[in-house]
Amino acid sequence: MASVVELSGITKRFPGVVANDRISLAIAPGEIHALVGENGAGKSTLMKILYGLYQPDEGSIAIRGRQIDLDSPRTAIGLGIGMVHQHFMLIPRFTVAENVILGSEPARAGRLDLARARRRVVELVDQYGLAVDPDAEVSVLSVGEQQRVEIIKVLYRGAEVLILDEPTAVLTPQEVDDLFANLRRLRGEGKTIVFISHILEEVLAIADRITVLRAGHTVGTLRAAEATKAQIAEMMVGRPVLMELPVADVTPGEVQLQVEDAVVMGGRGRPAVRGVSFAVRSGEIYGIAGVEGNGQAELVEALVGLRPLASGHLRVAAQDVTGAGVRGIRLLGVAHIPEDRHRRGLVLPMEVWENLILGHHARAEFGRGAFLDRASIARFAEDRVSRFDVRTPSLRTPVLALSGGNQQKVVVAREFGFTPRVLVAAQPTRGLDIGATEFVRRQILEARAEGMAVLLVSAMLDEILSLADRVGVIHAGRIVAEFARGTSSPREIGLYMTGTRRAETPA
Amino acid sequence: MSAGLRLSLLQVFTPLLAILFAALVAAGIILAIGESPLQVYAIMARFSLTRIDSLAVIFLRATPLIFAGLAVALAFRANVWNIGVEGQYYVGAFAAAWVGFSVTGLPAVIHLPLAVLAGMAAGALWAFVPIVLKLRRGAHEVITTIMMNHIAGAVVLYLLADVFRDPTQIGTPRVRTPLFPDSARVPLLGPMLRWIGVDIPAHSALNWFLVLGVVVCAVAAYVLARSRFGYEVRAVALNPSAAEAAGISLDRIRFIMFTTSGAVAGLVGLSDILGFFGYFDIDFPKGLGFVGISVALLARNNPLGIIPAALLFGFLERGAQGVQVFAGVPREVITILQAVIILTIVVAYELLTRYVRVQRKREAERALGGPAVAIATADGG
Amino acid sequence: MDLLISLVNVALLASAVRLTVPILLTALGAVYTERGGVFNIGLEGTMIMGTFFGAAVTHVVTQALPAPAVPALAPVAGMLAAMAAGVLFSLIHAVMSVTFRVDQLISGVALNLLAVGLARFLNILFFGVATQSPSIRGFAPLSVPVMRDIPALAPVATGISPMIPVALALVALGHWVLVRTVFGLRLRSVGENPHAADTLGVNVVLLRYIGVLISGAMAGLAGGYLAIEQGRGYLEGMTQGRGFIALAAMIFGNWWPVGALGASALFGYFDALSLRVVHTGVPYQFITVLPHIATILVLAGFVRRATPPAADGIPYTKEEG
Repeated sequence: MASVVELSGITKRFPGVVANDRISLAIAPGEIHALVGENGAGKSTLMKILYGLYQPDEGSIAIRGRQIDLDSPRTAIGLGIGMVHQHFMLIPRFTVAENVILGSEPARAGRLDLARARRRVVELVDQYGLAVDPDAEVSVLSVGEQQRVEIIKVLYRGAEVLILDEPTAVLTPQEVDDLFANLRRLRGEGKTIVFISHILEEVLAIADRITVLRAGHTVGTLRAAEATKAQIAEMMVGRPVLMELPVADVTPGEVQLQVEDAVVMGGRGRPAVRGVSFAVRSGEIYGIAGVEGNGQAELVEALVGLRPLASGHLRVAAQDVTGAGVRGIRLLGVAHIPEDRHRRGLVLPMEVWENLILGHHARAEFGRGAFLDRASIARFAEDRVSRFDVRTPSLRTPVLALSGGNQQKVVVAREFGFTPRVLVAAQPTRGLDIGATEFVRRQILEARAEGMAVLLVSAMLDEILSLADRVGVIHAGRIVAEFARGTSSPREIGLYMTGTRRAETPA
Repeated sequence: MSAGLRLSLLQVFTPLLAILFAALVAAGIILAIGESPLQVYAIMARFSLTRIDSLAVIFLRATPLIFAGLAVALAFRANVWNIGVEGQYYVGAFAAAWVGFSVTGLPAVIHLPLAVLAGMAAGALWAFVPIVLKLRRGAHEVITTIMMNHIAGAVVLYLLADVFRDPTQIGTPRVRTPLFPDSARVPLLGPMLRWIGVDIPAHSALNWFLVLGVVVCAVAAYVLARSRFGYEVRAVALNPSAAEAAGISLDRIRFIMFTTSGAVAGLVGLSDILGFFGYFDIDFPKGLGFVGISVALLARNNPLGIIPAALLFGFLERGAQGVQVFAGVPREVITILQAVIILTIVVAYELLTRYVRVQRKREAERALGGPAVAIATADGG
Repeated sequence: MDLLISLVNVALLASAVRLTVPILLTALGAVYTERGGVFNIGLEGTMIMGTFFGAAVTHVVTQALPAPAVPALAPVAGMLAAMAAGVLFSLIHAVMSVTFRVDQLISGVALNLLAVGLARFLNILFFGVATQSPSIRGFAPLSVPVMRDIPALAPVATGISPMIPVALALVALGHWVLVRTVFGLRLRSVGENPHAADTLGVNVVLLRYIGVLISGAMAGLAGGYLAIEQGRGYLEGMTQGRGFIALAAMIFGNWWPVGALGASALFGYFDALSLRVVHTGVPYQFITVLPHIATILVLAGFVRRATPPAADGIPYTKEEG
């Protein structure tokens, strides 16, 4: 069987980093080929090379047997290669049809032919069963619909090879099923699919063959039918992985965080959180599961004081802190691991010691009057860095020079700094490699064991199910169901996440 | 040479290289009008640097630029733009003049500080309007401050011509306020300098505002580097979202820095008003606020860097006089040189910032033995 | 009542239309550059370059031509020179902000400083003085056939600069280009999400350059109009901050050409008002800054409703090292 795509000896270096190191990969026509590996293994870089976004420093690329110089996405598109990016590359203020045609517009002498564009979109929708309205503005579409727009974009350009970068990361289990059905239909129409993922169940469910990458190298290629989860996992990390963390027995104590009928406004002046109530006790992890964009981000911001409550009440350790603001809530012992550490959690150009006191900088022990006491801060920072194993050349290194995992350790080390009573952790392991993920999860379990009340918001259902004592499912700004540990399955929670099912009396 | 030392040297050489490049561009312009650049630059250097009266003028010209540069830099440090220093110093100078001529009978120790405070208050007031409109209404401060500059000109002109014009001057073409008593005039540096053996000419108006400017820059540098407030300012400038999540009020920081910027801008014209003219007239020098933007950019908003940057611009202005008188080259060549310095300097600093960033990353990787740690960022994840 | 009459009389409206043109042309230019994602606060300086080159070239061509030659030739040459000067000047901004990715506001501010010095320098070189050019003649004015005979309407129906219909045509053209053409769609995509556009093979850098250069051409033309049609010569400072007012007009017009037209007309009206002696008891100095006060009020009162392009003012970096 001749390969449709053949990458040989691909090497790509970034300043100080070898992202791909002599990687070779052959994709057969009409197959679904999964590319798996940890975050940072080099999957995305490799696929960006195949799509012409990056140029390799060494190695060659052959498409249908011909050596090709892939110097831009335009060239790749011309060769029938299309990419569905992990972070959707859509323009929210454009319609579906406008998004689809951008860059390859049907036109007469520079004049757009929007009618023809619409017709083409409708044809593709019908041919592949990718239901979406061509005239809708993309900003109003659901995540699953947006992904379909991305796939239509690729098909519109005549792609024979579709690259999907972590396509399931943002989907509900039901949406994943839809996606897989669509992918199988595409394969049936003769398309070739490269599927990037680190979720092994999915890979085994959809792929024909699986190639494993580790630290920029190819580890090997397997037939999916003959592979096992444990085998792939070991290839990914180079050692047997501990999948389940031990959860200690802890008896929950007093209620530390209580939310009553919280209503929080979203971006467009419409409520994003519509009357949410729950309580978290010390020694307990309350997980919030849900498809992203159902009010989690707004809820978290309200809990830490970044967003006002439109109505309802917020109590920390029995004190009413409704409207108290970030500083007031923080002073009561609420720690916050933000969803986006680069945006909310760290000041990247500032040095490690400076980031370790962010939010604590007004504490008496860090200064004399109006001025900072650098010696006392240095002592604190050294203690944090060693206790949380932050790998940094020095305290004076800017945080932007650290790896993603170490950056997150800086955030965790800081937030655990002054024995908080409540921890609000939003997507705490997003974008981390397996090692760092395990570290952060252990820290959260340890916090629970020490009597902290933890609110865990995560888009990764397995993370919630393995850590949380109770799970609240959020849909359209409401908690639509609540389960105690071990009383529900991912599939059942998925039905609530999508609003397919509703509990009669949400707790 | 250690990596740290190399980076520090680069920080110093970058502006010098940019200035050199700008000088080359200006040399091209001088060549184009048929003069010899070498000769022009030689005249400039000789005229400005070998005469004690020229040096006094350079320091005198640099005095308002120190305040103007610092004013712009303070706002920049909090990521807000004060293009309104121009208008703020204009109303500030007029307010100081008003206290100067309208209040009489006070001793100098009260009258002079009062005039200075009036200048600062007026400057702060003129900055208050755009910053409040920005924080409360979202009006972009770049445009509103420029509009406030125009309005400042109109308000001062009205007060000067229609309300406070010196009655003894009516019927003459001079439009100016009455003279101040000596109690509102700032002492000159001449006597002290001559006492320590620096023989500046008796007519030099070099005064204690120069010293004040240096002190204010030093205080600003210390507060920004070492205080909790300065820490908050840095966090707000470098990542407002994270600062907010840490409980720092963005509005508070921006408001304080912007009105402080306005207050410092209120000092810009005072060296001339209280140290030289002794009255405010319709020809009071304009444009210092815009030069202040150049000074701040050259100094990279570092308060201590403001002083050499202001001296450089003082030198260029003095040199422009020499070039015009002795080489017959329009002084505007020097204005162009200043603008080109700014264009090249911002490109140079941008490239330097990127270079330093990459170097720091490499350094971190070397120290930790191997590049594996940073792949995640390169991978987009 | 007298006040009301003086606020709406026909001569004032005619003057308002004339003064709308320079703000409108620059605001239209600003729509292109900001739709492509680049702030250009240097448009004020670009207008200054337009005023100088417009006047200088009109003067030179007038001198060079034999007297009975086509009377429109000199002002046409002047307008084209003003546009060319605007394009070249904004090229500096494009290089600084698109290629070197420096802060776009800093680059624009530096250009404004440069323009003032450069205009003075060139004026000395050409005309021996720093601040003004010899006086020049503009286009022969147009008039509307029937209306010009009605005395009450004569002020608006006669003495019409041909640039006025040109400016209006450019509004319609701008709307059509942005909405109906491939270039317009791509330019807007680059201002909304340059990464997405890039992955689809749209040339982000090229489009941003074109957006900036169009804004330069339009602001240059606006400057040419001020010098040739409005001022009959170059005079230092004749732009009076209109480049900045035009930015406010573009924002108020919600980044669309037709909106910019409405907002520019508002500012043009205040501009016209500021040039008249209106007997209101308010000192004339305050009347002269009416456009500036109006600009502040508009920005403070209405901008919350506007939505700028999502990537406006953000430099585009292809690879994050």
